[in-house]
Amino acid sequence: MAAPHLVIEDLHVVVEGKEIVRGLNLEIRGGEIHAVMGPNGTGKSTLASALMGHPKYEVTQGRVTLDGQDVLAMSVDERARAGLFLAMQYPAEVPGVSNANFIRTALNSIRGEGNEIPVMKFHRMLQEKMRQLNMDPSFAERYLNEGFSGGEKKRNEILQMSMLEPRIAILDEIDSGLDIDALRIVADGVNSLRSPERGFLIITHYQRLLQYIVPDYVHVMMQGRIVKSGDKTLAEELEAKGYDWLKKELGIEDETVGAQA
Amino acid sequence: MTEPITNVNANLVEELTARHGEPDWLKARRQQAWRSFETMPVPRLEKTDLRGRAWDFGPFPAATGAAVPQPLAQLEAALGDQAAVFIQDGTVTRVQVPEALRARGVVVMDLHSAAKTEPERVQQLLGRAVADDENRWSALNAALWHGGVYVRIPRGVQLEDPIHIIHSESEQARGGMPRVLIVAEPLSRAEVVEVYGETGQAAGSYVHSAVTEVIAEDGAQLRIGVVTQYRKGPTHFFTRRAVLAKDASVDWVFGDIGDGFSVGLVESRLDGDGSRSVAQGFGFGYGRQHLDLTASMQHRGRFSESDIRLFGVLRQRANSVFRSSTHMHRGAVAAGSEQHDRVLMLDATARADAIPMLLIDENDVSRCAHAASVGKIDPTQVYYLMSRGIPEKTAVQMIIWGYLQPIVDALPSQAVRDWVTQVLERKLAE
Repeated sequence: MAAPHLVIEDLHVVVEGKEIVRGLNLEIRGGEIHAVMGPNGTGKSTLASALMGHPKYEVTQGRVTLDGQDVLAMSVDERARAGLFLAMQYPAEVPGVSNANFIRTALNSIRGEGNEIPVMKFHRMLQEKMRQLNMDPSFAERYLNEGFSGGEKKRNEILQMSMLEPRIAILDEIDSGLDIDALRIVADGVNSLRSPERGFLIITHYQRLLQYIVPDYVHVMMQGRIVKSGDKTLAEELEAKGYDWLKKELGIEDETVGAQA
Repeated sequence: MTEPITNVNANLVEELTARHGEPDWLKARRQQAWRSFETMPVPRLEKTDLRGRAWDFGPFPAATGAAVPQPLAQLEAALGDQAAVFIQDGTVTRVQVPEALRARGVVVMDLHSAAKTEPERVQQLLGRAVADDENRWSALNAALWHGGVYVRIPRGVQLEDPIHIIHSESEQARGGMPRVLIVAEPLSRAEVVEVYGETGQAAGSYVHSAVTEVIAEDGAQLRIGVVTQYRKGPTHFFTRRAVLAKDASVDWVFGDIGDGFSVGLVESRLDGDGSRSVAQGFGFGYGRQHLDLTASMQHRGRFSESDIRLFGVLRQRANSVFRSSTHMHRGAVAAGSEQHDRVLMLDATARADAIPMLLIDENDVSRCAHAASVGKIDPTQVYYLMSRGIPEKTAVQMIIWGYLQPIVDALPSQAVRDWVTQVLERKLAE
C-alpha cells in the first residue's frame, strides 16, 4: 500500500457550543512523526478526538482528507478502516468483552469479510506483541480496560495499535501517568512501528516523551491553532525555556482557548 | 375477588391423586392447598396489574401427544447421556441417570414416585421452602403440581457434572404446574439446571405456576441454574426458594429469554450461620414481554453473606421490574450483602424499573450496599469500539453481550450455555 497522506486544512471544532480548535492546518505523510505540544487547554486533545470522529466534537469548518478521501464524511468505524487510529488518553472500560475478542473483532473488521485472520495465528501474534510490551498473558482474557491501571491502559492502546497496524496513528498524551520504565516500553512499541507506510501524530504536554520517540516535526498549539512549527530542537528549546518564552515571543497573554473569545 | 372455578377443575386434585396413586397425606395437602387457592384473593402488585389476567388451567391429560419443540430437541440431543429429566406438557417423559450417579446414591426421579419411595423425607421437605399457602399461585401449584422432579444428593457426595431438568411445553399445554424439590445433604455438592422452553402460541389465557424448592443442609454447596423461555399468552408465576443451613452455599443463576408475562421470586433464606448465597440473573425482554422479578436474600444466620446481581436488556415494548431485596433480620450479626442492578434500554418504547430494597433490623451487620441504574448504552463505549473499525451494530451487540455473558457463563452445563448463547445471539442479531 502506498504511503499515507493526511491533510488537515483550516479545521474548526466546537465542543458543547464552544469553539476549541480554530483554524488548524497540518499535513502528515508516511514515515513522518509529528509532535503537537502545548500547555493544557489549548485544544490538542480536541484535535485528536475530532479527527477520530468522537460524537461530542463537531467540526464546523475545514477539510480533512486521507489520500484524498474526505475523512469528515466517514463514520468513526469507517475512519478506522481507512487507517486512522487514536490511542486515547482515557479509553473506555467495557465489562464482559475480553481484550482478545475485542482486538480480533477489530482486526477482522479492518481486514474485511473473507479475509479474517485464523484464530491460532491471531493468538500467537497477540501473545508475541504482549510480550514485547511487557504485558502479562492474562491481559488477553481480561475484560477490556476494566480494572486496568493507568499505565496498563496505555500499554493496551499501544498493543491495539501494533495489532491493527494503522496508516496514521494519533497518540493522545500516551505518556501521561507513565513511569520512566513504562514510558520506555511504550516508546519502544511506537518506534518498532515506524515505517514509510505509517505516519504519527503525537500529542504531548511534556518534552520527556520526545527523548524516546524522536519527532521529525514539532508543532506548538495555543488558542486552538498551531502557532509555531520546527524540528526536534524546538521541543528541546521549549523544555529549556518553557512555554512562557514562546508566549512572550508571539505576544500571547493567555494561551488557552476562549481567553480572547 | 375470586373468579368462579368450574367443577371440572375442582376434580383435578382427585384426578391427579388417583392417576399417580398418591398417599393420603399428599392428597390431603393438595385438597387443603386447593381450598387456599379458592379462597385467596388475587393480590394487588405494585408494578403488575393482574386484574385482567385469567386463571385458566386444565384439563391435564395423562400423556402428551406433542413432539418436543425444535429448539429444545437440539438441547436434548446435545445433552447425550448426561443426568437429565425431561418433562413434556406436565408429564415426565424420560429420566436418565448415569450409572456412576446411581452408584453414589444420587436420586433423580419424578416427584410422584418419590412421594412413594421416600415418603418421610418428601412429606417433611415438600413445602418447607415454599409454603402451600404462601400466595395464590403457590397454593395453586401445591394443589395441582404434576410432572414434578425430585433430586437428592446424599451426604458428602460431590458431583462434577450437572443434573438437567428440561421442561417443555407445546401449544397443547393447558397451563403448567411444575414443581422441583432439590435436597442437598450435608457436605454434598452439585449443580442443577432447569430449562423451561415453550413454543407455539398458547390457545387461551392459561396460568402457569412453577415452584422450585432447594434444601441445602449443613455445608452443602449448590449451583442452581434456571433459564426460562416464557412465551406470550399465559400468565407465568414462579417461586424459587432455597433454605440454607449452617455453612451452606447456594448460587442462583437465572435468566428469561422469552417474551412472556411473568411475575416471580428467587429467594435464599440464609438461616444457617456462615451460609452464603449469590443470585445473579438477567432478563432479555422484547416484544411485549412483562417481567416482574424479585431477587431476595433473607438473612438470619450470623456471618451470612449474599450478593444480588441483576442485569436487564430491554427492547421494543418490553416492560420489566427488577427488584432486589435484602432483609437483615435481628440476629444476623456480622452478615453482609451487596446488590447491583443494571438495566439497559435499547428502545425508547421499553420500560424498566430497578428497585433496590434494604431492610435492616440488626445493628451489627458487616456490609450492606446497593447500586441500581437504568439507562442507555454508554456512547463512549460504542465510540471506543467503533474507533477500532468495528461497525456500530456489532459494537452495540458486543457491549450487550458483555453484560450477559458472565451470567450465561455461570450457568451449569455446557449444553445449556451453548443453547442460551445461540438463542441470545440470534435475538441480538435481529
